[in-house]
Formats: sequence, C-alpha cells, structure tokens
Amino acid sequence: MAQIPNLDNSPLNLKSLREQSQRDLVKILKDIRGKKCLVIEPKLGGSLSLIIQTSLLKEYGIELRHLSAEPVQTDCTKVVYLVPSQRDLMKFISSHVHNDISKGLQREYYIYFVPRREIQCEKILEEENVHHLMTIGEYPLYVVPLDEDVLSFELDLAYKECQVDGDTGSLWQIAKAIHKLESSFGVIPNLRAKGKASVLVADILNRMQTEEPVSSSDMAVPEINTLILIDREVDMVTPMCSQLTYEGLVDEFLRINNGSVELDSSVMGVQQEGKKMKVPLNSSDKLFKEIRDLNFEVVVQVLRQKATSMKQDYTEMTTTNQTVSELKDFVKKLNSLPEMTRHINLAQHLSKFTSKPSFLAKLDMEHTIVEASSYDICFEYIEEMIQKQEPLINVLRILILFSVTNSGLPKKHFDYLRRELLHSYGFEHMATLNNLEKAGLFKKQESKSNWLTVKRALQLVVEDTDTANPNDIAYVFSGYAPLSIRLVQHAVRSGWRPMEEILKLLPGPHTETKRGRFASNPSFDTLQSASNGIDKIADGRRSLVLVVFVGGVTFAEISALRFLSAQEGMAYDLIIGTTKIVNGHTLAETFLGTSG
Amino acid sequence: MANVSVAAEWQLLYNRYYRKPELYPMRWKHMDLSRNKVACAPFGGPIAVIRDDSKIVQLYSESALRKLRIFTSSGALISETVWKHPGGRLIGMSWTEDQTLICIVQDGTVYRYNVHAELIEPNVSLGKECFEQNVVECMFWGNGVVCLTEGGLLFGIPDFKVMSPCQLAETGAEDLPNCMAVIEPKYTVSGNVEVLVGVGDGILIVDEDGVQRVEGEAVQGPVQKMVVSWDGKYLAIFTHDGRILVTDINFKGVLLEYNCESALPPEQLAWCGLDSVLLYWDDTPLLMVGPRGDPVHYFHDEPLVLIPECDGVRILSNTSMESLQRVPDSTVSIFKIGSTSPAALLYDALDHFDRRSAKADENLRLIRSSLPEAVEACIDAAGHEFDVSRQRTLLRAASYGQAFCSNFQRDRIQEMCKTLRVLNAVRDPEIGIPLSINQYKLLTPSVLIARLINAHRHLLALRISEYLGMNQEVVIMHWACSKITASLAIPDATLLEILLDKLRLCRGISYAAVAAHADKNGRRKLAAMLVEHEPRSSKQVPLLLSIGEEDTALMKATESGDTDLVYLVLFHIWQKRPPLEFFGMIQARPLPRDLFISYARCYKHEFLKDFFLSTGQLQEVAYLLWKESWELGKNPMATKGSPLHGPRIKLIEKAQHLFSETKEHTFESKAAEEHAKLLRIQHELEVSTKQAIFVDSSISDTIRTCIVLGNHRAAMKVKTEFKVSEKRWYWLKVFALATIRDWDALEKFSKEKRPPIGYRPFVEACVDADEKGEALKYIPKLADPRERAEAYARIGMAKEAADAASQAKDGELLGRLKLTFAQNAAASSLFDTLRDRLSFQGVS
Repeated sequence: MAQIPNLDNSPLNLKSLREQSQRDLVKILKDIRGKKCLVIEPKLGGSLSLIIQTSLLKEYGIELRHLSAEPVQTDCTKVVYLVPSQRDLMKFISSHVHNDISKGLQREYYIYFVPRREIQCEKILEEENVHHLMTIGEYPLYVVPLDEDVLSFELDLAYKECQVDGDTGSLWQIAKAIHKLESSFGVIPNLRAKGKASVLVADILNRMQTEEPVSSSDMAVPEINTLILIDREVDMVTPMCSQLTYEGLVDEFLRINNGSVELDSSVMGVQQEGKKMKVPLNSSDKLFKEIRDLNFEVVVQVLRQKATSMKQDYTEMTTTNQTVSELKDFVKKLNSLPEMTRHINLAQHLSKFTSKPSFLAKLDMEHTIVEASSYDICFEYIEEMIQKQEPLINVLRILILFSVTNSGLPKKHFDYLRRELLHSYGFEHMATLNNLEKAGLFKKQESKSNWLTVKRALQLVVEDTDTANPNDIAYVFSGYAPLSIRLVQHAVRSGWRPMEEILKLLPGPHTETKRGRFASNPSFDTLQSASNGIDKIADGRRSLVLVVFVGGVTFAEISALRFLSAQEGMAYDLIIGTTKIVNGHTLAETFLGTSG
Repeated sequence: MANVSVAAEWQLLYNRYYRKPELYPMRWKHMDLSRNKVACAPFGGPIAVIRDDSKIVQLYSESALRKLRIFTSSGALISETVWKHPGGRLIGMSWTEDQTLICIVQDGTVYRYNVHAELIEPNVSLGKECFEQNVVECMFWGNGVVCLTEGGLLFGIPDFKVMSPCQLAETGAEDLPNCMAVIEPKYTVSGNVEVLVGVGDGILIVDEDGVQRVEGEAVQGPVQKMVVSWDGKYLAIFTHDGRILVTDINFKGVLLEYNCESALPPEQLAWCGLDSVLLYWDDTPLLMVGPRGDPVHYFHDEPLVLIPECDGVRILSNTSMESLQRVPDSTVSIFKIGSTSPAALLYDALDHFDRRSAKADENLRLIRSSLPEAVEACIDAAGHEFDVSRQRTLLRAASYGQAFCSNFQRDRIQEMCKTLRVLNAVRDPEIGIPLSINQYKLLTPSVLIARLINAHRHLLALRISEYLGMNQEVVIMHWACSKITASLAIPDATLLEILLDKLRLCRGISYAAVAAHADKNGRRKLAAMLVEHEPRSSKQVPLLLSIGEEDTALMKATESGDTDLVYLVLFHIWQKRPPLEFFGMIQARPLPRDLFISYARCYKHEFLKDFFLSTGQLQEVAYLLWKESWELGKNPMATKGSPLHGPRIKLIEKAQHLFSETKEHTFESKAAEEHAKLLRIQHELEVSTKQAIFVDSSISDTIRTCIVLGNHRAAMKVKTEFKVSEKRWYWLKVFALATIRDWDALEKFSKEKRPPIGYRPFVEACVDADEKGEALKYIPKLADPRERAEAYARIGMAKEAADAASQAKDGELLGRLKLTFAQNAAASSLFDTLRDRLSFQGVS
C-alpha cells in the first residue's frame, strides 16, 4: 500500500495542490540537464515521500543522497541540494564544496531552498566563500497534505523558535501557506485567532492580502468559510497528556513519521529477524479510517468483533450452500483480511505497553495533575522520577504538565527540582531549563493559577466517559476534554464573544475579523447567520472550517476534531492545518539545550 | 458620381490597381532632401535628417556645424542636436525596431540616439580592423547591421540589444563588391545573418562561418544592386545590362524580368509590398514594375526617399509624404468603375437611401443572398482608408446592410470602429504616425503604446490603452519617471502630489520602482516620500536601504513580519555601521534583536558577547561561556583526563562570576560553582581510578559509578560534597547494587537503618532484576497494602496479591489485578469473589 495518501475524499481539492508541488519539483529537476546527484536533507526527504514517489525521481537521471556532514560520493558533475532554509545545513554544504575543491573536483552546484531562499543562509555561504559557486533557487513547498483532512506546514521547530528564540520566521511561512491556500480556494471570510503567535499570523496574512490580493471576484463562494488559528501556547496541557486514541497511542509508543510507522517485522508476524518494515497509516486503509480515532480500549473490542464475525462467516461458508452473490460478498470481506491482520498485530503490540503498571500509574498521575486535586502527591511523584533517573523526556513531560497547570511552582520547589534535575542528568541541562523557563513551561510561580477556573468553565474533566459510545470529546483522553478542542468547539458554535471572560484567562490575545468582500458587510456578522446564507455550497456539501494549530497538534486532538465534525447538527466539515504533528515527547525534545 | 473619382486616381499594373494618396504635406520648411542623409523608420516612425558630409553643398545662412534633426512622419520637429562626433564621415544611419537611431562613422564607432536626440551611452566600436581600415558601407536591418571596410572585410552587429560586434568570413575577392544585401537572421536556416555580396561576375553568400558562391539562372554577369523583400523570401536584382530580375531567395527561377534600358543602376531600389518593385533615378520618373504587363511611371519634380513598408512604400519628398500601395480587393470591388459586385451595390444603396430614393430597396433585393459578404467588404475597405469621411461612409454602408442580415457577426463593425479610432488618433499630423491597418496589426497595440510613450505622448498612450482595455501601468510608470526627470525645478512636495495624483489611477503599480528612479535622478527625499506609498514591503525595504533610510527600513521590515526582510536590513546595517551604533539600533526592537541573537549564536559568538556586554546582560554572556566550556569538552583534542579541563573549569568559573553579578541569578551561579567542583572531583577520580569514565557524567551517575566500582568511600564523598539528599542516595545506591547484583550488600544496606523512603526501591530493584526470592525479603515490609498487592502481582503471586488488595479494600485495584491474571482461571475467580464481597460491604 502506498504511503502517499489517497486524497479523493477530501472536502478540498488537495490533490491539485499536491500535483502542483509534484510538477514544481519535476520542473526543477528537468531544468537541470543531464545526470545529477540530488542531495536531500533527510527530514525534508520524509516530507517529500508524501508528495512524490522516490522511484519517480530516478526517471530524471538522478542519484539520490541524504545530506550529512560526510562529503557526497558521486560521479555526477552536477550536485543539486534540496534543503530547508536552515543555517546549520549551510556548514555541511560549504564543507562539501571545500572538500571537492581540495580534491580538485570540478562540479556544478545547485541549491534549492524549501520553501524559499533566505538571506541568513546565503550570508553563511558568502562567509564560507562558496556563494559564487552556487546556482540558487527555491522550491515553494509550503503545504504537505498528510491525509484527506490534515495539512502540515512541516515546520518542526516552529514552537521552540518562537517561544525561546523569538524567531517568528515560521509564522510568516504559516501565513504564506494559508495565503497560498486562499489563492486556490478563495479568501476565507471569517477569521478567529487565539494566542500571541496566532494573532501575528493573522496580521501577516491580512498584510499579504493587501500586498498581493487574491482576487475574490474569481470565485463566487470561497470554499473555506472560517479560519480558526489556535496557538499551541494556549494549551500546553493537552500535548503533555498521554494520548489514548489508537493513532495517538501508536504515535506515543512507536512514532508515526510522515504517515507511516516503522516496526520490527516480527511484530507484523513476518519472520525476518531484526528487519524493519514501514506500515503506512492513513485513510486509504478503510479499517484504519474506522478505528484510528477510537479510544484504544474500544479498538480492541472492535477488532475482536470483526474477527469473530469473519470466523462465523467462514464456518457458514463451509457448512451451507451459498448463492453466487453471497460468495461474492464473502470474498469481498476476505479482501479486508490483510488490513485486519495488520491492525490486530499492531494492537497486540501496543497492549504490551498499555498493560504495564508504570504506564497505568503515569495515566493516573496525569489525571491527578489535570484535576489539580493533590499538589503534594504530584510533586513527590515527579521528585521520585528524577531521583530514579527515569528518561529525562518523560520527566520533562510531566513536569511541564505540572508547572503549566499550576502556572509555575513556588520558588522553593522550583529551585529544588531544578537542582535535582541538574544533579541527576548533568549540568549541561542548565540550557534546557533556561529554554523551558523562557517558554514559560517550567518556571517560578508568580501568580495564582487559574487552571481550576478554566477547567470548570470549559468542563475539561468529564466524569463517567463512555469510551465505546462517546458523547463528548473527552473520550480521547478517557475523561479529559482537550482544552484546545473545547476552544475550537466554542469558536465554531458561537464565536469568541460569549466566552471572552474565559479567553482572557488563557495566554495571549484573541481576535475575530471579517475579511475580503465580507469585511464591511454587517449581515455576515456571526457565523450562525452566515450558515443560512453563503454556507450552502450548491452541490450540498457542508462548508469548511480550517483549524490551524500554530506550534503543532497531536493525533488525539485531530481525533477529537473529527468526532466534532461527525456530530449531528454540526454545520461544517473541519480541515486541520498544523506546523507539524507533535506529541509530548517530540515537543519536549525541541527544548533540550544540548543541541545548541 | 463620387465613386468614379476614387478609381480615377488608381493606376493599373497588369490586373492590379495601385494608389498613391498623400498622407501629409510636410510641415518642415526649406528642406532639401538631396543635401542630406535621411533615415526613415518603418511603421510610420520618425525621420532623422543630417547634412550629408560626403556631398559638396552650399551653405546658406546656417552654421557650419551639422545638426542632427529628428522629425515625425508629418515633418514636425521632435528634437535636434549638434553633431560633433570625431571619427570621420557618417557612413550609415538607420532606426532599429525599438526606435533607436544608429549612426556609424568611418572609424567604426557606433553612436546611438533616442527619438529625443539624446545620446545613449556607451558608444560601441566595431573593432580594431574597422578603425584601421575605415567603414565604407553599412547594410541595416531592423535589429542589426553589417559593415564593409575598405579592405573588403565584413563586420556586423547581429543584435542591437546586445551590441557585441563580430566578424564575418572573408570573401577572398580582390575588388570591393558592387553591391550588397542582407538576409535577416530570422529568415536564415542557420539563424545567423547572411550577406549577399555582388562581387565580380556573381553573388557570394557570406556568414560568420563561411562563403558560398551562388548558382542560378538569375546570376549571369555582374550585379549592380540588390534588395531582399521584407519577408526574406525574394530578391530583386539590377544587372549590369540594365535588367531588373526577381528571384526567390534560393535563386531558383526568375519570377520577373524587365529591361529598364539604363546602364546606370537606380539610386534606390525598393519592394512595394510583395507584388512589385520600385526603381528610382533622380532624373527619370519613378518606375514600378510587376511580374507582368507594362510598368507604371510616376512623375516627380523633387528628390524622393522610398520607405519600404510591409504592405507598400511610403514616398517622402521635400514637401509631402505619400503612400504607394496596392488597392485592396474589397476597395476595388466597391469603387472599380462599373463594378456590379454586391459590395458596390450596397454602397450605392446607401447613397440612394440617403437621397430617399426607392432604388435603395431595389439594390438590396438584388444582393439579398450575398449581403453578408457585401457588408464584410465595406468594413474591410473602410479599414484600409486613410480618408476619415470615406471611412465613415463605408462603415455606414456596412451598418445599413447589416440591418438586413440576420446572421452577421455584429461586433465586426464595432471592432473596426475601435481600430480606426486608434489609427486616426495616431495619424493626426500632430502625432504623425501614418500606420496602415496591416502595419498596425503587425506592430501590435502594445508596441504602438510603447512607441507613443517613448515619444512622450503619454496622454494619448493612456487613452488608447484605456480604450483598448489594456493595462495602463506601463504608461503611468513611464510618465512618472519622465516627469521626475523633466521636473528638476519643482519642489519635492509639489512633485509628489502631482505624481501621486496619477499613480493612484493604477492599482498595484510599483511605487518602489518610481522611487528608485527618483533616487537615480538624485532626488533622495522625493524617493523617500514615494516609497512610503509602496504597499509591498518586499519592494519597499530594499529601496529604503539603498536611499540610506536604514531606520525606516528596519521598522518597515519588522512590521511586515517577514523575517527574511529583517535579516536583509540587519546584515546591511551590520556591515555599514560601527558595532556600537548597530547594537543601539537593534537593542530596543525585539524582533530584529532576537533574530540577530539567533544568528550570532551560531556564527558570531564573540560579536554576540560584545552585544550582551554592551547591553549589560551579563547572565547571557555567562551562558555563552558555559556553552563554550561544553564545546571544549566535545573537542576530540580534549580527551578525558587531559589538562584541557583546566580551561574548561576556568570558563565555567568565569560564568559563575558573571552570574553572581546579579541577584536574580543566584541559582545559576550556584549551579556553575557546583559544575566546576564536579569537574575537578571527576578529574581526580579519573586520575585515581585510571579510568576515563567520570568526566561529563552527572552527579548521580558519578555516585552510581563509584558504587559499581566498589569505591563506597568516593561515593560517600561525592554525596556529602554535593549535599545529596538521603532519598536520592537510597535510590542511587539500591539501583547501583542491583546493577552489580550484590544482593548481600543490598540486604545489608536495607538494614543499616530504616530507609527514609521505605522499602519500595528495594522491591523495585529486585523485581526489575527478576530476583523473586530477593524481592520477597522486602515486600512484606511495604507499608501500604496496595503497593504490597501490586508487588505480589508483579512476581505472579495471585493469592498474596488478592489478600493484600482486599486488605486495602480497593475494588478498582482488584479489577486491575484480575486483568493481570487473565490467563489464570483460578486466580481470576478468586478476584471476582473478593470483589463481590467488597462491593457487598460497600452497599451495606
């Protein structure tokens, strides 16, 4: 099965978007005549695997390499670098060139920056004295469709760069990505943003619209009705909790990268010792589409049911006489057998992790922290984790959760835990602590936490959640309703206005604006009145809300949004845009100070 | 009848009619073309005139200095300048496609002028050989030139847009050629220019790579004059024996032959469209020959200049500009004497209609079936007319006929009216561009507009582009730039208002481009005011930098949110200003400052330190030093145990010192102090154990390593040195002992005193190591029955687990434990009964 997701069922024409990106890339490669060596930065290579099949690239006379510090070994005289605009990569490229020069190799060098060339990178090439040897271009890949309803801007470090370094370059790129979507699908008339970075993105986006207007007259009705921008900063609680949906759990334990998970082949029942295999996970897999968003407890039951019913069918098949059409149905069911096997294997593998007492204890602790019921127990738990030298990332995750819900720790505890951390994991983590403090994720308490108020007002903790027949998004964390999604739920239903008081308790400003032709039209004042008018697109599709997470989103949150979208009385389809799919681990990792 | 008089002006050549209407009486005074060199641009372009210095002429009351004058086709002076160039005689002068005047003098220097007689720098030389040998003849085409030197060498400029000269192959002929003609690069197979050289008894084809002699029946004996048709397909040749021949460009067959009975070659030889050839001697009538039939003679009493066009020839004399062209078929069908074609009848019907005669209806009935073609012919004929009243009559006839046609394309008339309005506007003697409709179509409206703006006819250009629904940005932009150039005396603020007034007409126009032009003209202040209005930051910011408005540039870049623009400004200022000034500019601006820090963190460490010192952020300097010490550690030169730890420790101590400068950083200062101390102790440990495994591990790891190595004294020392808490100490020691599986030592340790965190660490360590027996030593000592239950469960003792759980009275725990023992049916039922009992208790 292909890793490139099938986008036929998408509410937006994402396929054309992807095809455009394919064409752009092919054009770049075709325009450089002859044999060439294409050197791709590995992470970018991962993103590209969602755009184009690597085998296709080989048709254009290409040797494929991954960018690393090692010099490029190739016979080609043309070397094409395809890299994101990151400063640290320039050193690699310069050293490659210097290495070639010292060996007397004469080569033509091309650098294509993704998504655009940046002066800070070129400056380094200049200082390394190789800039004049380069032909520089850009490959404007701003948006990568991960699935029929998920878009990624592939900005891995966006959150850390914004929060710690004050580098808002990623925000410009997000705005550009949305602006590009608007040029295909029309100016989005309603915009709601919450959080500092979100409001900045909204500003830049409006600026782009005045500088290079998307002519709204071309399209009768813009395909996307509302844009909701949510800043990760607003809700750092959710990503730090362990996700309990099927897809979320796979990501927590096994890491989903670019829509696939890499596993020991033994897990999948293939007897090849030590060999890894990639399992694609996207909605092209019918069974996965059905179960990805369910709570894992339920997934096990669903799989068991399916297996039983199939077994029953099989017994009937062998004992009674069947009509041809019944046979046909049965064969059709058999076709889903590989998918069944795949997910039964995967679920079995996952339950090894979920049944561990330590995992259950951790869940317990997360709930205690979210409920903010017992400060001391939580503090002692964390203290013990540090003293036992449990993996640092695990500690940071729960520490962030603890600090954020308490809006910091009293100075005595803050200093104590910091010291214990440095003693247990080394003094180099002073930088890590500094990063976390700058980002406000682990800090000294300066004011009383309003988490309890928020929790109560937004009903974040829901008792008696029936995970099998959920009636609230809280099912994705077995009782905790993700704050970010609650906000979206309200924003879609009634806009920000009725909940201003609560919004003020959360970090960052919020805005609500009308754009494009609708900017001055009072009759489109609320989303609800709008839903009677322009929302009904002629062919009966529901109109669209694009929810963009600035700083990343987790699979569990996506599941919760899909749940919302599937509710009766919901007037919209939801599409999700994100800087990157994250989880507590990947997010916390970016703050580790040892990398620089 | 009026119709007759139209056709009466026509001349018949074989079966075709020709007409020669006057376009303009020339507005110039006292012009004698024979005294001058004249260059006329095709497509009704300008005329350049300069006194011919190869002729001996009498000077009247005029300066001895020659003047280059440029006129419109109607003879109105556009501009003039004094010709003072060195380099000998002016040999060739011609207009290029984009209406630049090219002048080539004897020594091979090329001077270029625009229509305003302004010299376009730089002047280009055709090369050393031309300079030494002198140029004797130049052959131009729309976009290039080939020159012949006295030495018989050929040089050329194949493209005036590039202006790089090249030499063509040497002909090897001893004599200078009799005549030459060029085939434009766009008509040759090779794509390079080819020159036809009439030398000796034949013709040579010369290009950059070689020479080829021409074979063909047309070439028998010396050739005196040649000219290639405008489409590059035919060649007209005047032979030594006074015949004019037309052959195709590959010299296959003779299409026309006529004996002119003159041994002298004509002074001018020109194609009139593609149908006939004109020959001009100044003392005999102008001769026009076609493929068949008698030639036509046109008498003249003044010197003439023939200007070939794509659809005819314009004839310039001292007093008038005429156009000689074949009468179009549609016009013939209407105006030919005695014509009974449908179009003629329609035209006649209109006449009757105007006179309210019933014959109009009769005419219409006669042509009912062919009415559409009659209408079409009238429209077409109107297009070819220069006379406005006749255009009008023809269009009225068409419109009259159209009323009776049900299925005629209605916008044809409208379209023609549009075209004619444009044509009539530019044909006006004030403007003086006598374009025919065919020329207009070939030229395209956008080129016409470009020519109008070049001639500074901005208003007309604007009107036309507006009328034709074209983008007006080009016109307004050019106007604004010209206005700035021309308005040196107008103060900035006033000029700004004038400019803005017009620039507002066009949405999305680039204010930055206009501002850049203002800056180039030395009006920096105006540029700054204009650039304010540019909405696109990506265009605005670079310009602001180039006019030295760095502060504003930084502000605008920051506002745009585009970090790349901010970096552009940062690097610019960084390079131009002394560090302190640079620091001052960015210090109070968060985004530029953070971006600078982020960049400098990677590539300009020292400079960043300077920045932090200048802003008094000592703790940041301390962090940098600390990081440096870390990098020093990663350096392969600094292998563990080597004296390089000295510098590392020094850096950290420096950092500690800086941290201690401010109160808020006591924690950091303390940590740095401890780090330095740790490195020293680790160093000592490595020396004493002779094992390089300590440096850069954490305090906890150091303790563990000591215990694992059996060095309990050292471990204890680290513990006291860093005031490690009893709790942590217990975890560390228990795990370390479990690692080396020293179960006796573990037991001894458990009995040292009552452990401060209970026996859980002991249980965990044993269970993790899969030592059931060892674990059982400690499980009963666990205080909390829940913990006990779970511990028993982990080592698979269901009964004990169940007992402990029921002691804890925890139903949920029982349920969980049951799951753990799911495979074990006996254990499972045990949990169920216990839970039942428990819930029963809960109810009661």
